[in-house]
Amino acid sequence: MTGGQVLLGVAALGVFLLAIGRGGVPAGRRALRDTGESIARVLPVMLVAIPMAAFLSQLIPPQLAAAWLGPESGMTGVLVASAVGGFIPGGPFVSFPLVLTFIKAGAGAPQMVALITAWAILGIHRVLTWELPVLGPRFVAIRLISGAALPVLAGAAAQVLLPWFPHALPVVGR
Amino acid sequence: MDVLFQKTCHPAGCFSAAANWTAGRRGAKRAPMPGFLRRHATLLILSAVALIAATLVWAAQGPAAVNAALDKAWPLLLMVLPAMLAGLLLAGSLKQLIPPGALAQWMGAESGWRGLLVAALAGMATPGGPMATFPIVLVLARAGADRGAVVCYIVSWALNGLQRILVWEVPLLGADFALLRLLCGLPLGVLAGMIARRVPIAWTPPESPLAAPRR
Repeated sequence: MTGGQVLLGVAALGVFLLAIGRGGVPAGRRALRDTGESIARVLPVMLVAIPMAAFLSQLIPPQLAAAWLGPESGMTGVLVASAVGGFIPGGPFVSFPLVLTFIKAGAGAPQMVALITAWAILGIHRVLTWELPVLGPRFVAIRLISGAALPVLAGAAAQVLLPWFPHALPVVGR
Repeated sequence: MDVLFQKTCHPAGCFSAAANWTAGRRGAKRAPMPGFLRRHATLLILSAVALIAATLVWAAQGPAAVNAALDKAWPLLLMVLPAMLAGLLLAGSLKQLIPPGALAQWMGAESGWRGLLVAALAGMATPGGPMATFPIVLVLARAGADRGAVVCYIVSWALNGLQRILVWEVPLLGADFALLRLLCGLPLGVLAGMIARRVPIAWTPPESPLAAPRR
């Protein structure tokens, strides 16, 4: 268990107790029921997604990731990551294990920041499944225009901030 | 989907309806088949992709490579699991403390950058996947939030959602990377909202495509 996980556990217990203190036992029970329902939804997906990411990463030659998205790829790598990120399908259970395998294969932090940002903002899968049917094509156009440049911005910002985060690539350092 | 907006209601009531819909399974029994498919689409698609990828690995690199991949997946799962449980408990408890209905009035067209700031915070605080968020977004838009606030809310939720960071990003990629990425992502929601207010495309919130009562 890492320090971050312990911290998260303590925070979760603290907020849970706060909810009980504020709303009594019924609030605590509601919190537990919500948590249980979330677990029932997330756990099966994760049990499938993590092996899936492992299989996919077995198929992607690591040198490819390192060459296109490595720390030396600079702003070119950020641009590539911004373009590719929007096409990563699925939720965080897909993208984050994938990013982890990219990092293990030698990808750079700013490039991964751009990749995650592009996936989050432009993810085509979410746009088609949810945004388009619920809010309509005009809204999708407005939002995609507003968000198009942001992954590159985030990657550039990460490039600038990187010297302050020497441990930003956890797996490589371990 | 149709259970979501059964009654045309007070914004705050709509909020709790949206929240209940995602949390509770009461509507599931009445949901038509496409609803069932959509609810489980993620799992089905992921399973299919996993099977195909495993088959490809088997064909290209032999059964030993399949085992090697599974050997890598198992410790990762054990590493993520405790953090995920804690993150979900945190999200479930936070939900009891923050009533989401209180936010719509702060995000109107006249709200300026302060409205965008509120939208960014609300987006970050919204837990759950798209099935929870987009119904809430529609409620926000129809309750008077302008397009800038709505875009800002979606981007902030998708990019900086605290639940996602706590459940997935910190356990998998480490706290340092997650913090670096969050710092780079924080201003982007407000930025997207400011741009959205200037995009010359007319848009009004759809008159609830979800609301059409089936009964």
